[in-house]
Amino acid sequence: MLLVLDSNEFIFGFGVARKPSCEALLDAITEAPSYAIRIPRLIVEEVGRHLTPEEFREFIDFILSLTVIDEDFVVSFELGSKYEAKGLKPADAFIAAYVEWTGADALVTENRHFLRQCDNLPFRVLNAADCIKVMKASR
Amino acid sequence: MKQNIKKAKRHLTKLRELVSRRRPPLAEVNEEKVLDTLRKTREELWDKKFAART
Repeated sequence: MLLVLDSNEFIFGFGVARKPSCEALLDAITEAPSYAIRIPRLIVEEVGRHLTPEEFREFIDFILSLTVIDEDFVVSFELGSKYEAKGLKPADAFIAAYVEWTGADALVTENRHFLRQCDNLPFRVLNAADCIKVMKASR
Repeated sequence: MKQNIKKAKRHLTKLRELVSRRRPPLAEVNEEKVLDTLRKTREELWDKKFAART
């Protein structure tokens, strides 16, 4: 199962702000090799803005133990424009386009408004609690 | 890309330890405020990237 985690999942999952379901999601990802994540540079930078330099180094090591960091330019302008045309702000459109580009099964985010107005997405949009349920069901 | 989940777990534990030693500003606000702050962070970073390209 391939997942893209929004920056809020890391912020809540690391304890910068508290949300147990997000902590449980990161725990689940680091307990079973059947779950893979992808991450773009933009999300790395968003998370980094809320960490100290020492924490950021651990974050990078954490990410690089699980995946590679994709540079933002790998996503085509056309794919981003498709989501902008659906009414998303450019940065949100980029995230949606990135998820499609990776072929991920789901975008995991606690932002319940993000992408909810978009129909026929090629991936699911889940919060951490629902993602954990899906992960348990797929075992 | 080969995953090393044991190594990832170690870094996750260390990161949580480091965060727990301080009082992050986002720990003091509710979930909606956290999400709002992250939305602003995203827009600021995106604007900076876009400005750098033009």
